[in-house]
Amino acid sequence: MKWRKLGKIFDPTEHKLPNNCEAFAQSPQALVFEDFVRIYFTTRAQEANGKYLGHISFVDLNSDFNTVLRVADKTVIPLGELGSFDEHGIFPMNVIRKNKQVYGYTSGLSRRVSVPLETSIGLAISDDDGLTYKKYGSGPILTSSLYEPFLVCDAFVAYMENLYHMWYIYGIKWIKNAEIDGAPSRVYKIAHAVSIDGISWEKEGRLLISDKLGPEECQALPTVIKLKSRYHMFFCYRQAIGFRSYRDRGYRIGYAYSDDLENWTRDDENVGIDVSEGDWDSEMMCYPHVFNFRDKTYLLYNGNEFGKYGFGIAVLEQN
Amino acid sequence: MYKWQKLGRVFNPEEITRGTWMKEYAQAPSVVIFEKFVRVYFCCRPLPDEKGQYVSYMAYVDLHRNNLFEILEISEEPVLKLGELGTFDEFGTYPTSVIKVEEDIRVYYGSFARCESVPFNAAIGVAKSEDNGKTFWRLGPGPILSYSPDEPFVLGSPKIRKFGDTWYIWYCAGKKWVNVNGSKQPVYKIRMAESTDGLNWKKQGKDILENVLEENECQASADVIFANGKYHMFFSYRYNVDFKTKGRGYRIGYAHSTDLKNWIREDRKAGMEISSDGGWDSESVSYAHLFRMDDRIYMLYQGNQMGKTGFGLAILEGDLY
Repeated sequence: MKWRKLGKIFDPTEHKLPNNCEAFAQSPQALVFEDFVRIYFTTRAQEANGKYLGHISFVDLNSDFNTVLRVADKTVIPLGELGSFDEHGIFPMNVIRKNKQVYGYTSGLSRRVSVPLETSIGLAISDDDGLTYKKYGSGPILTSSLYEPFLVCDAFVAYMENLYHMWYIYGIKWIKNAEIDGAPSRVYKIAHAVSIDGISWEKEGRLLISDKLGPEECQALPTVIKLKSRYHMFFCYRQAIGFRSYRDRGYRIGYAYSDDLENWTRDDENVGIDVSEGDWDSEMMCYPHVFNFRDKTYLLYNGNEFGKYGFGIAVLEQN
Repeated sequence: MYKWQKLGRVFNPEEITRGTWMKEYAQAPSVVIFEKFVRVYFCCRPLPDEKGQYVSYMAYVDLHRNNLFEILEISEEPVLKLGELGTFDEFGTYPTSVIKVEEDIRVYYGSFARCESVPFNAAIGVAKSEDNGKTFWRLGPGPILSYSPDEPFVLGSPKIRKFGDTWYIWYCAGKKWVNVNGSKQPVYKIRMAESTDGLNWKKQGKDILENVLEENECQASADVIFANGKYHMFFSYRYNVDFKTKGRGYRIGYAHSTDLKNWIREDRKAGMEISSDGGWDSESVSYAHLFRMDDRIYMLYQGNQMGKTGFGLAILEGDLY
């Protein structure tokens, strides 16, 4: 693979955002229109107690990704009610068209006491081409289960081989007070579920992607695309501990491929993209999202500081 | 109306010495009947921590089969460990419901996870015993029954039964949290799921019982027993808020069904009332567990303050009909 970086294309601090959000545009995800692309991201509003609430917003960019056509001016999807799985944030939301609707797969956050948070995956449906979404119930469509005890999130959904496929992640353990900044650290891995209708899911129940950094490698935000006859997965991975403070422990983009949607071969050497010295993505790259638009394949991603100052895009030059 | 003869309090945790983990509460009794004794599982607590927060452990007491007021043995340690950091049952395995199917003894249990905006969340786990019910091991670190679009939080008070080849679990599912002057209380309703193996569950997806007290009535702990061609459910219900005020706490209700799907609620038939003697079950009664032994039907139930001072026993005059 060979990607050509087109640079940072959106900085949230240069725009007025709904829900009193000020910075962060994390985990960009595309909804493609004929002549523009709507890119959802998670931005943040700070509460009086200093903690953040994550809200979904979007920006419409022209076909060259160099002009902002529109920024969301109202709430795209409300946060959950008291005690709900998505009460304290939605991060991120993955979208897919289904007939005349758009299905949004949300990762909801709720705060815990012994650990910072718990997450589950919800569904929200748009009848207005993705401007606003209504929730399919107040609870999640995919959550913890016997062998996937917590932190189910980061859904990416695609319709392939006559089935809906969801790649997502779940937590395998919390490490007590191991993080340099004092809070418990989590370890999570990529998993897979299938569905006939995109609503009821059956978990496959196995880990998909082999570890490169050892058993405590954190794997997040899988995104899958079919090019010719092969399936390609991009994701991000990092060390469980010290990833905020040390460049070489932070997020990088990983890569795996499959010819049958079952067996995945990890092949990070061929990901074809890496951090750029001295640039906005010099220290980390995370939250990849691949999509096709006008016969080209693009990769959206965040750079330094987990996307505090926005996201960028790269175009596939060689497969 | 059924006539229950109250036989008295069987177990008071405040009267025994079993270490710091069993200081008060003996909640949600359920039994496994052995040849010479009846093992009653229940949930107990250490004293609260400096913030007033509790954890809850699973325990048992063995009662002499021919004299259920004679205690033969009390578990030395919690029979099920609490969950690991960040899991759904990190702060409690409560309440519990134990079942023995042939040689297989399993516990289905509710849980406590501590949350920031509300006091807790809960889901339902399962654990298995390989030493005749003395200790239990989780089948996995996560819950066996968890949240879904119309059951968003607080899945609790499981009651497990097997009728024929089908496993049934009655449980409560949270509808909403009510915030009254900063005190947050969940509203929950009784629901049911069924399974062919007790592990993979299909939720029925509806509230089983109509409300009697108010729209926010809380319903929990639905124990079902089969007798005389019908299924009989004894459950607990109370007002949503101020339930520690006399008259608003848990009472035992009753419903019956011929098909396990449609239930007719007839609380006036339940027959299990609070006592008027000012004693341990004079303010509230709840978490009934029914069992049949030597052709008699018994009910174990917890008394005041959600079983803070233990549980008692009653015996039915006649049969369920």
